[in-house]
Amino acid sequence: MSYFFLKESDLKDFVRKLISSAPVIAPVARKNKFVFADLESPDELRLDYDITILPPKKAFFPPNQTLLSFKENKATSAIRPREQILFGVHTYDVKAIDMLDLLFAENNADNNYLANRKATTIVAMTPQAVSGRAFWESVGKTVQPNGHDALMTKIREGYVFEPRTPQGTRLTKSGIFSQASSGQLDEASKCQSEIAAKCPEKLSHSTREISDKMRASFNNEKIWHTASLDCFSCGTCNIVCPTCYCFDVQDQWNLDQVSGARYRTWDACLTEDFAKISLGPAGAENFREERAERFRHRMMRKATYLNSRLGGPACVGCGRCSEGCVPDIADPVKIINNVMES
Amino acid sequence: MNNCFVPMEAEILRADQVTKSEKHFTLRMKNGCRMDFAPGQILEASLFGFGEIPLGFASSPTRKDSFDLVVRTVGRVSGAINKLEKGQSVFVRGPLGHGFDLDRLRGHDVLIIAGGIGLCPTRSLIQYILDRRSEFKGFKLFFGSKSPQDQLFLDDLSAWRNSPDVEYHETVDKGDPGWTGNVGVITTLFQKTKITPDTRTVICGPPIMYKFVIKELEKSGVPHNHIFVDLERRMKCGIGKCGHCQINDKYVCIDGPVFSFDQIKHLEEVFG
Repeated sequence: MSYFFLKESDLKDFVRKLISSAPVIAPVARKNKFVFADLESPDELRLDYDITILPPKKAFFPPNQTLLSFKENKATSAIRPREQILFGVHTYDVKAIDMLDLLFAENNADNNYLANRKATTIVAMTPQAVSGRAFWESVGKTVQPNGHDALMTKIREGYVFEPRTPQGTRLTKSGIFSQASSGQLDEASKCQSEIAAKCPEKLSHSTREISDKMRASFNNEKIWHTASLDCFSCGTCNIVCPTCYCFDVQDQWNLDQVSGARYRTWDACLTEDFAKISLGPAGAENFREERAERFRHRMMRKATYLNSRLGGPACVGCGRCSEGCVPDIADPVKIINNVMES
Repeated sequence: MNNCFVPMEAEILRADQVTKSEKHFTLRMKNGCRMDFAPGQILEASLFGFGEIPLGFASSPTRKDSFDLVVRTVGRVSGAINKLEKGQSVFVRGPLGHGFDLDRLRGHDVLIIAGGIGLCPTRSLIQYILDRRSEFKGFKLFFGSKSPQDQLFLDDLSAWRNSPDVEYHETVDKGDPGWTGNVGVITTLFQKTKITPDTRTVICGPPIMYKFVIKELEKSGVPHNHIFVDLERRMKCGIGKCGHCQINDKYVCIDGPVFSFDQIKHLEEVFG
């Protein structure tokens, strides 16, 4: 694949053409935060964002997704993907999307996710700014971003654009791209390492060391009890996580009371009833009744349980959970470093 | 494009209220296809507008082109399903998960230990063994329930009591004036018979039961790789995605619900 260059002054025109070809989902500002949203105009685009409130997985795995609609006894599949462009996805979020691609495809392929994903062209972006709690430089170092169609990196005069798939290459037809010079490529590579070095938080051990020690610490009740003392069981750490994919399934009637929909919503393993079953007259059984058990489960999922399937941890170091947690106890760096020192 | 969440319609051929809270359904697929399941597998049963619940098959695939389910009224979905009668429809996705490894049971003594509603999924295996009796050696069945009124499948129980093909033992936690059988927890049934170390044992019941039963089996010298546990957890998707049924890193819906005990005994979350 060859490398292209797009001048800063040509960016808006490029994005405008993309918007006219398909819906473009990209980072935009909301007050002092950023979110991924359908782009109405290139003027809204904020490629200088540090982090978005929710991860971009919502483009194919929305917080509330209809799985099927029903009318009396007839069900109709709700899989209706729209061709779309997901633009400006930071490289750590690309890693998370790649993990979800695998998890939704393995064992039983879930086309409710996969169809949306397949219809999406992803333009990744080397971060230009790091958020206050990011640690993506030091987590899962052996796992490279994968599955995106192109990677953009901001250099002084514009953007180095590296297509990775035919879809990525096709996008260059929508803008005034030139071949990138070797000097521009060097500058891009320098920008990539410079920004990575700016991550304010850092894991100090290898993925393997962390996975082994975390798993071995399962029964260290003191660690999990102490770490979760202030937990509200609100599930914010799950909801903002780019690799969390647990969901609940519910039915809803339409007002006519004969039709409706079966839909799924993001769920959170930190919430109290996540593993609770009703036994009828015999009462109920909650398989993770204690806050500490649920808190531990999340960390096990992130640091060890999925590692063999994903080739690395189910955490990409975005820092959203650390920032979103009201009592500030969800930070994986603090939890992991604490376990490693125990 | 295939949508793994879209269920198929099954017609209710028979519906019997068997206890105060449990209803026994016999179903047949509407599209004429056979539900091709193995004993111990599960399915998701639903009613549109109410939702889905996971259930174990309560009959053996060796019996007719229909299958049985037993639903206990505990919530919104089970409550709605239990209002249905013959001729109406339930919507099902399945079969799902891994059932009993019949190859590891064939040619051996088999003991099935069922507590309460745990008799439903094990009934699938019980019927299977009785239908292919010559493939198995000795066959024992322990069944425990809270009280005589909570006993399920009364016709089956009475047949098993008198059958030469199964050595049947039963108990209730609390008897009533009409009850002449054993009273006590299920482990008291171990005093009634001798369990050989070669016995392949299947356990299904309330979460509390497993630890105590396994302790008794250990006393009889049954190794852990001869013990199979059928486990229950909260489930939403049934296809290994939604995360609710996880026991450490295992998914009950796809890795189970039947597990060989030696393969999961190291998991801290296995018995809650």
